[in-house]
Formats: sequence, C-alpha cells, structure tokens
Amino acid sequence: MSKVLVVDPSLCTGCHRCEMWCSLTKYGEVNPSRSNVYVIRREPSVDVPVVCMQCGLCIDVCPTGALKRDGTTDAVVVDENICTGCGTCVKVCLYGVLRIDEETDLAAKCDLCSGSPACASHCPHGALRYEDAGKAAARRREIWAMAHAVRIR
Amino acid sequence: MWYGFAGKLLRVNLTSGEFKVEELDKNELRKYMGCTGYAARLLYQEMPGGIDPLAPEAKVVLATGAVTGTLCPSGGSYEVCYKSPLTGTWNQARSGGAFGPKLKYAGFDFVVIEGKAEEPVYLYIHDGEVEIKPAKHLWGLNVEETTDALIRELDDPEISVATIGQAGENGVLYAALINDRGRAAGRGGIGAVFGSKNLKAVVVNGRGGVKVARPKEFAEAVEKAEQWLKNYPFASIPSLGTVGLVSLNNSLGILPTKNFQTAYFEQADQVSGETLNRKYQIKRRACYGCSFACGRYTSVSNGKFATPPMEGPEYETVDMLGPICGVADLEAIIRGNYLCNIYGLDTISTGMSIAFAMECYEKGLLTDSDTEGMPLRWGDGEVVVKLVEKIAHREGIGALLAQGVKRMAEQFGPAAEEAAIHVKGLELPAHEPRSESKVLAVQYAVSPRGACHMHPNWASTWDFGQLDCGMKEFGLPWPPAGIQDESSQKGVVYRYVALQGEISEILGACIFYSWGTEGSCITPQLYAEIVSALTGWDVTAAELMTAAERSWNLKRCFNAREGFTRKDDKLPRRFVQAIPNGPSTGARVENLDAMLDAYYEAMGWDRQTGLPVPEKLRELGLEFVVN
Repeated sequence: MSKVLVVDPSLCTGCHRCEMWCSLTKYGEVNPSRSNVYVIRREPSVDVPVVCMQCGLCIDVCPTGALKRDGTTDAVVVDENICTGCGTCVKVCLYGVLRIDEETDLAAKCDLCSGSPACASHCPHGALRYEDAGKAAARRREIWAMAHAVRIR
Repeated sequence: MWYGFAGKLLRVNLTSGEFKVEELDKNELRKYMGCTGYAARLLYQEMPGGIDPLAPEAKVVLATGAVTGTLCPSGGSYEVCYKSPLTGTWNQARSGGAFGPKLKYAGFDFVVIEGKAEEPVYLYIHDGEVEIKPAKHLWGLNVEETTDALIRELDDPEISVATIGQAGENGVLYAALINDRGRAAGRGGIGAVFGSKNLKAVVVNGRGGVKVARPKEFAEAVEKAEQWLKNYPFASIPSLGTVGLVSLNNSLGILPTKNFQTAYFEQADQVSGETLNRKYQIKRRACYGCSFACGRYTSVSNGKFATPPMEGPEYETVDMLGPICGVADLEAIIRGNYLCNIYGLDTISTGMSIAFAMECYEKGLLTDSDTEGMPLRWGDGEVVVKLVEKIAHREGIGALLAQGVKRMAEQFGPAAEEAAIHVKGLELPAHEPRSESKVLAVQYAVSPRGACHMHPNWASTWDFGQLDCGMKEFGLPWPPAGIQDESSQKGVVYRYVALQGEISEILGACIFYSWGTEGSCITPQLYAEIVSALTGWDVTAAELMTAAERSWNLKRCFNAREGFTRKDDKLPRRFVQAIPNGPSTGARVENLDAMLDAYYEAMGWDRQTGLPVPEKLRELGLEFVVN
C-alpha cells in the first residue's frame, strides 16, 4: 500500500519549518504564505498542521480537468498547463488546503513531492509523518478518538 | 534583487506622523552583516551622545538579520536596539516568537522609530505598507487585551503584535516589549521608551517571504545543520525547557538564591523543571522557524494563583520570582510570570528589584511604614505577586521598585550598596559568576548593556564544556596556547566567547545552537555556508568574525561616548566574598582586574581606559568613530 501524510497536532510546536521547506522545495524561496502545508498557530497554545487529505473532491469540480490523481503516489496534482486559476477547487475544498498562488495565478496544492514530502522529512518533532497508509489510518483513528474523548481526571 | 534580506529600511517619525522607505546599501549592510551590527552603526551615527533615552530625540531600531525568518534552525529572532533608560548604555533586547520573521515577510529588515506622537498610536506594517494608527482606545490595556483587540480590529489572526502593557505606559524603567502575547524583548526598559513615545504597539504581517540566492545549496547547508544539531550538547534542554537548569544549577551550587546571598536553594525540587513539567505544563512551543522548541505553555488551574495558559516561565523567571526571593511556590512563580507578561515587565529586573527590597527589609533599611504595612519577608510568594502588580502600576512602594536596583540603592545610601546586585545599572540574571565560570565574571563586567548573560553569549557554556564552538580556525585551543596564568587565560577566552556570540547577534540568530564543536552546533563556518547560499554573497567564517568584531567595537564606542570606560567594568562587591554554603562553598571572584587586563589586550584595546584605540578602529573600517 502507498504512503500518506498524517498529522499529530499534540507533537507540533508551531515552528512552521514544514511551510518553509515546502516553499523552498516548490518555489526556491522561504515563504510560509506560498506553502501547501499549513500551520495554524494561535494564542494561547494552539498549533495545528493542516494538510491535504488527497480526497479528490477537487478533481470532481474542476471545470477544465486540471486536477488529476497521480498513479504512483495517489496524490491529487495540478496540471499547470491546463489549470486556468478559476478557483473552483479552492471554494469546494473542505479542509481549506488549496490556494491560488499569488505569483503563478494557478491552483496550488500538496502533491506529496512525488513520494518524499519535504515537510514530513524535516519535521523536527514528528508531528508530520509520511507513513504506510494502514499504519497512518490507525494513527488517525487514535487521534480522532482521543480528541473527542472526555478527559478522565 | 535582494536575497536573504528584504533590502529595505523603514523610518518612522512619530512627531510628524511621516514615514519613508529607504533602500539599503548592499556593501554597507554586508560590512556589518545586519541585525544588531547594522543597528549599532545606525544608532551611533544618528543619535549623538548624551541624549535622554526617554526624550523624543531618542531612536529605536527594530532589527532582523540575514537568517531571521529563514530555515536556519536558530532564525526566529529579532532585536530591539536603543539607549536604555535603566542604564544609559547601548541596549539590545532580543525576542523570538513570530515578530521578526513577519517583519521581514512584510518587506523590511529594519524599522527606525523616532520622535514622539502627540497621542497614543500604533504602527501597522503589512506587505510593504505602513500605517500610523490611533491607539487611544488601547492605552491602559494589558498585553493580552491589546493583542486580542488588534487581531479583531485588523481582522487578521495571522498578525504578530509587539506591544507594551501598563508598565511601559507608566514608565517602569525595566518595562519590556512583549510580542505574540508571551515573548519578551525584556531587558533594559524598551517598554518605557515605547511609552515615552506614545507608541503602544507595532503590528506586522506579510506574504513576502525570503528569496534564496542558491536554493539547492541552501537546502543542503540547512540539512547539514539539522544533522549536526542531532548531536547538540544541550539538546536535552527542551524536554524540561530552560527550567531544567534549576535542578542542575542547584546541584552544582550555582543557583542564585536570596539576592545572591547564597547559591544553593534547599527547596529547589519544588520549583524545578521536572515539577513544572509534571504539574503545570500544557505543551511545548517553538519560535517561528526554530527546531529547538525550548518554550512551553503552562497554567495553574485553580487556587489563589490561578493563571490562564501563558508562555513561560523560563529558567531566569523561575529563579528571579522564586529562589532569588526565597520563594518555593511554583504556582506563585507562574502567576508572577503571567503578570509580568501581561503588564509588560522584564522578569529578571522585576525579581531582582523585589529581592533587593527584601534584603533591605531584612536589614531594616525598609520598614513597614514604607511598605504600607506589608512585610517583605523572604519566601512569601504572595508578596512577590502583589509587588509585581504594584510595580507595573507604580503604586505605593511599586513606584520605588520601578526604578530598579541601582537607583533604589542610591536613595538608601551606603548601607544598601552591599545588596545592590547590578552592573552599570542592569540587574544580574540568574547565573552565578563566582563559581567555576570565571569567564562569566568578565562577561558581566564588560557586556555593553550591563550584567548580561545573553549578549553576546552565555560564557558559562565555554567554561563548563570547554567547547571550541568551531573557533579552532581563530585560535581557540583550550587553554589558549602559550598562556599559563589562569586569569589571563580567562580574559583571552572571553574575547573568543564574545566574538563567536556576536556572530549570532549580527545574523539575527538565537544563541542556542551556537555552543558545541564541529558536527554538533552551528559553527561560524556553518553559518557562513548557510548565509552564503541564502544571500549569494560568498561569506567566509573570517568575514563573519571581522563583522562581529566591528559590531562589538562599535557598541563599546557607543558606551564610551556616554561616558563608560574601564572604571564601569566592575562587579557588585558581593562577588569578591565567598559563596557561604552549598556545593560551591568558598568560590569567589578574586582576580577580575587581571582578567580584564588580558581581555582588553586580546581585543587590542587600551588597558587603562578599556576602550578601542584609533588604530584598531581604523583596522576595522570604523574611521567615523575616530573622528
């Protein structure tokens, strides 16, 4: 089975290095506002990385067919030759992880760096990992359940 | 095209309400590398000696460096440079959080603030745009309230707010500037300077990012740093936060206690990093771009010291609101930390001012009539918390304490001098200079802003670890070759500590990560690799060293113009007396003069005055200082 990105917010320290690595890898600059992984850092004490789940809802709504699933990584990727930057995908994304890049005027999203995502390989605290899909699913269940569990004192 | 830097300086005049954007000169910037080095040049040239730090003519520089807001693992910092109202010296106060990176992303490396607004204002800097906006409605609000109000008003949760609280508005001489609610540019009274200018806050945000000259090479250099830092000798710090030092220092007998009367605290376990972690920690928190994450959030859920989640307390704060005042109640310390953060107070000078008052009370120099009947006894956490409130609002005895230790001691006369623990008016931080770390004694004596453990470095790491920090190229075997006498060794070594640390200052890097050896820290050589790929300048470690020396000399000259010479490079009397108990019993500073002689000589300065000589200044290209 292929790998997926998985997030554990409890390990995130809000350093934003994932965003910096993403923009460096994709655009050759350090710029969190041009990142395809997002860290929500709020006061007091909220640090949550938000990543694309690669669900593919955007594929269905794209009027030009610019969004496609990569056969190797299962990532949903933007074909920049076809994309017109209309933003329909941005409107429909449930997680808010698509954006129109301000410099290219085209849709931008996580493409899993062709199978070695820079964000996960450089996360200093293991909050972002690129893991076997089955193992990641188990971790997601655990985090989901614990986030909603009543804390026992 | 600029790489690494935004390439612009913003100059704001609050008196006229005007601002202008200036293009930076690449050659001139490179000469100082940036951040505090370039800010030293700005302030030296633009602010004549003798200016009242609280007058409209006084200038403030917010400075970022080459690595601020980049992937360099220590690059979350910015520094505020100004003349301190507490000491009358050069001051630079560093802070982390998100402010520095976001200032750079907004399009500016430096902001120079001058003049005085007629009514309270705040600065809003975003994506190259600048607005001076009214802040009358924010005046009187604390740091939390101000930050939240600005987020609502500007409708942007991503902004970074650096603001003063009531302490700065009220002119407390050690009021801090607090960014991102819990990160402090703490020392020297920048909060009071903001207050004197009617400047409540500076708000930044931007989508500019940092352009990288050679991205692939930059990624490789950063990856190398990430690998090396897996061996960082102080890597254990984040697990307990800096507060982990409480247990360590106490076991070594170097935990400053009861206003430095002793260096051992019987109840240290109650205020240790382990206890903080177990009972009060919520989560770890990093500065923007930092992989170390030494910060943490804590809270006290109930009781008389109940406190909402807030960043801190750090080691310094725990000792200063704790053992320095004889206090063993961690909940009182957390509450005190919270209050210092929301009112905008430097926790170090606050704790030391309270400890000074407690010692004076013990000696009968302060009585119940001075304190409105409140006994200032060692170990009373409730009193500490009450005093923090009173200091911030300058109420009753708080108005006295708000002046800091030096001015209080001057009022109390010779009998209080013994208890006045400061250098050049800056209260000592929580590191004992009498123990093994004699290099720290030199640092306290000569640091430009007074008794300082941060700028340019924390000398103890050198003494304890005997780490070369990548300085072999510049002649740091241990002990320095050819010198037998220990005092001379210490003096010479401090030159290395100072210049190596100054490299972080001029790059806008945090000092964490600069202690170790090749393969275990960010050495000057590795900084040079990172900065070269980032800026496209082919910078060598030697060039960084020269820029650091330039900066270090310039700060010394700034102080010389204010009248500071060798005669001011002294320690409080208490440190020639031996530590009375604990594992470091008997340790004292015996030979400061000999250490200073060796240090001045190593720096190429005049031994008698302790000042850079004209030849040295010319050698460094600082001719404008000679004339």
